[in-house]
Amino acid sequence: MKALDRTTWTLTWRLTRAGGRTGLLATGLAVAAVAISTALLLVCVAGNLGFQQRADRIDWRNPVKSAAPVAVEAVGTTFSGGTPVTVVDVAQLPGEKAPAPPGMTHFPEPGEVWVSPALADLLGRLPADRHPVPGTPAGRLGRAALAHPGELVAVVGHKPTAAAVTAPREDDPRRPGDTITPTRVADFTGKPVADGIGEGYVALMKVATILVVVPLLVLGASSARLSVSRRDERLAALRLIGATPGRIAGMTAAEAALTGAAGALLGAAGYALLLPAAARVSVAGGSWYAADLWVGLPVLLAVLAGIVAMVIGSALIGLRQVVVGPLGVARRSRPARMSAVRALVFVAVILGYAQFTADKKSDINGVLAFFAVVFLALSVIGPWVVGVLGRIISARARQAATLLAGRRLLDDPKGAWRTVSGLALAGFVAGFFALFGFVGSSPWGSPDTLAVAVPKSREAVVQHKARERLEHAGITATVGSDTDWVAIGGGENSVQVTATVPGGTENLERARTALASLVPGQYPVAGTDIDWSGKLFAQDFTTATRVVLGVTFLTAIASAGITAASSVLDRRRTYGLLRLAGTPLRVLDAARRKETLIPVAVLAGGSVLTGIFCAAPLTLAGGSSSLDAGGIALLAVCFGLGIAGLMGASALSRPLLRAVTERAGPSPE
Amino acid sequence: MSSYGTAAASPVLAGTGLMKSFGLTRALAGVDVSVWAGESLAVMGPSGSGKSTLLHCLAGIERPDEGQVLLAGERVDHLSEPHRSELRRTRFGFVFQSGQLLPELPADENVALPLMLGGMPRRRAVHKAREWFPVLGLAGKEERRPGELSGGQAQRVAIARALVGSPQVIFADEPTGALDQITGMEVIDLLVDITRKQGAALVVVTHDEQVARWCDRTVRVRDGHLTEHDRTPHTARGARYDR
Repeated sequence: MKALDRTTWTLTWRLTRAGGRTGLLATGLAVAAVAISTALLLVCVAGNLGFQQRADRIDWRNPVKSAAPVAVEAVGTTFSGGTPVTVVDVAQLPGEKAPAPPGMTHFPEPGEVWVSPALADLLGRLPADRHPVPGTPAGRLGRAALAHPGELVAVVGHKPTAAAVTAPREDDPRRPGDTITPTRVADFTGKPVADGIGEGYVALMKVATILVVVPLLVLGASSARLSVSRRDERLAALRLIGATPGRIAGMTAAEAALTGAAGALLGAAGYALLLPAAARVSVAGGSWYAADLWVGLPVLLAVLAGIVAMVIGSALIGLRQVVVGPLGVARRSRPARMSAVRALVFVAVILGYAQFTADKKSDINGVLAFFAVVFLALSVIGPWVVGVLGRIISARARQAATLLAGRRLLDDPKGAWRTVSGLALAGFVAGFFALFGFVGSSPWGSPDTLAVAVPKSREAVVQHKARERLEHAGITATVGSDTDWVAIGGGENSVQVTATVPGGTENLERARTALASLVPGQYPVAGTDIDWSGKLFAQDFTTATRVVLGVTFLTAIASAGITAASSVLDRRRTYGLLRLAGTPLRVLDAARRKETLIPVAVLAGGSVLTGIFCAAPLTLAGGSSSLDAGGIALLAVCFGLGIAGLMGASALSRPLLRAVTERAGPSPE
Repeated sequence: MSSYGTAAASPVLAGTGLMKSFGLTRALAGVDVSVWAGESLAVMGPSGSGKSTLLHCLAGIERPDEGQVLLAGERVDHLSEPHRSELRRTRFGFVFQSGQLLPELPADENVALPLMLGGMPRRRAVHKAREWFPVLGLAGKEERRPGELSGGQAQRVAIARALVGSPQVIFADEPTGALDQITGMEVIDLLVDITRKQGAALVVVTHDEQVARWCDRTVRVRDGHLTEHDRTPHTARGARYDR
């Protein structure tokens, strides 16, 4: 292709190198923006893949019944200091040769206990009377058995006749996957736990990715345009000496490719450097295996290629706007009105989303895909709203700065939208998260009472045994029974035997150890244990909210700053001549500020409402959706910081405005 | 609009002993120049001679290193930038080669802008701006965008904008540089004529002899010095242009 021949690359390289300090600064800024976008995008992709890998690795703990079994597998969950400890009981069936469970070198002999490294550490730290699992560990479970390095897991070998692998266990729907009745299996492949906490995290990560990716793309695109704005005069000069539009487009694409590739590679390097730090972040109960956060070469190359293509595309779109003819004069005629079809499209998408979430609420992937469409639809209606605002402001303006701002909005609504789109999208994110609140305390039982479910017929016997064990362990406790159902019961013929243990967590943990195996297959649970996954998710959700909001707002403010600088460069000649003719810098600056702040105020309000609207039908792992004081506070903080950030970003380009207007002045002529 | 102007005893604008350097390059090396109300002065010279720097010093865009600039007898070169900026907005008018109109504003609002910047309400400013359109042969073009105007029409709008605040001096830097010859001559004719009718002084920087001939007087700048004064009476200017 002639537009991308050797001459194009040589000229591009020369222009890039000969750009001087400002040139290098703009190129550096563009490269940095692309690098940051790439690194964060890769972290998002890594998070998605990582959660999937975590989820895949614990499938073996959700056994699938087989017609040709070789072993029995049962799962229970006990707790230590509020942290869940998964205990997998296994037994080889007589005459069969069972394969080794994941993360183990052989099938455990009866009485043999294997524990995860984190559980081994915990057992080493705790006195024996508080050990959540009995016995001395014979081996350490490998990575293949664990979701994350900090997970507390034990695999206990039994005889096939042992109660641990024969007594049926009641599945508690409040904590999916925590208890699995003995199941005869042919292998340890297993299947995903339906409605488990893993699904919630995968969904949360997808939402977070959608919310982060779009502002990141906006940032990448603005930086690409900044580069073009800076070069328009030189490219126009090349047109003047006969360079064809194809050659100019080729040069722009070549420069964007160089900038994009440099930024993408730097971003990939940044991602690689971030990996160890990212792996230390505790999510869903623990930090990560670094390998889980490695996206793999094909995905890495695909992301890098996508980023470079996006940068080239943005630069070419920017080029169309700045280089019109050989004289570099952008001839503007009456601006075409933004079609109201944009508003109709947005309304249709919103209505579609409402309908879809009402009909197919359980199709989380479908809902998330539609959610992404709504997010993108904001970019469809955004320029239309800016155009309408421009018309209103132009018609009602009394001051020069307001008139300039209004006309500018009306003249180039898409350009004005680009400046504010990041913050509008961030407003959507804030609105979305403002609606989620999580229940703070367990509605079940009392935190100092342990419970196990028993048939009514065994109530007295179990109570007696419980008293004996507690007394033997030197623990003062009140043993009784009720039907409050902290432990999951077996219907009308069941009760739960309770032990109320005063004296704090340590005593409770000692009682828990003493009462282990009181009822085969059951671990005593306290009320606070029931919603452990909900609490964990709420904690992580709060962290995720802060991270996502932080990233979206920072990228939005960075985009706004870059676009503001780009806009000053685009209009530097006009600004310069107006300044020479006596227009005060503050008027030009006030116009710039108004053309940003007015649409932000309106659009951010609209996008916050859209975010709230989108969140309303969603519930993530038990999260309720209602606007409470916390949500309102979140919105207020985001709005305040967003406006302050935008003002700051605008103020940062004021020196550039001053410089370009001064540069329009005298030269040694 | 003010009435037909007449020459006064003292110049409306005078620069004396103006010196200006940019690094090692001396752009002005002691220039004395004056212009009277109703008079048009062409400043000519080759590229790099210092003619634009002279205009910038006289217009308060740049401070001279030495010498002084007097506007209606008052020294203005030592004013601060905000004051010089106000001076440029209220007492001077500017016409540049091109690109001075805001592309997003219709022609009438482009013209009204200096009045609005001075605090005049928009409706009155636009009304006053529109009065200039028939005078400049732009009737019916009030609501057009700069992109919808020809080069000559855009320069007339720029002239209207320069004149709308009734300035004492109009500065024009290569005002016909981006126009074809016929259009250029029409524009300079209009500029000189209407400036005189307003009683304002006109300083035109140009390298085009044809343009200079329309002015009452020509000064030439070479290597930062004024080398030639042409005091031909302006009454003869029309006859000297060979159409």
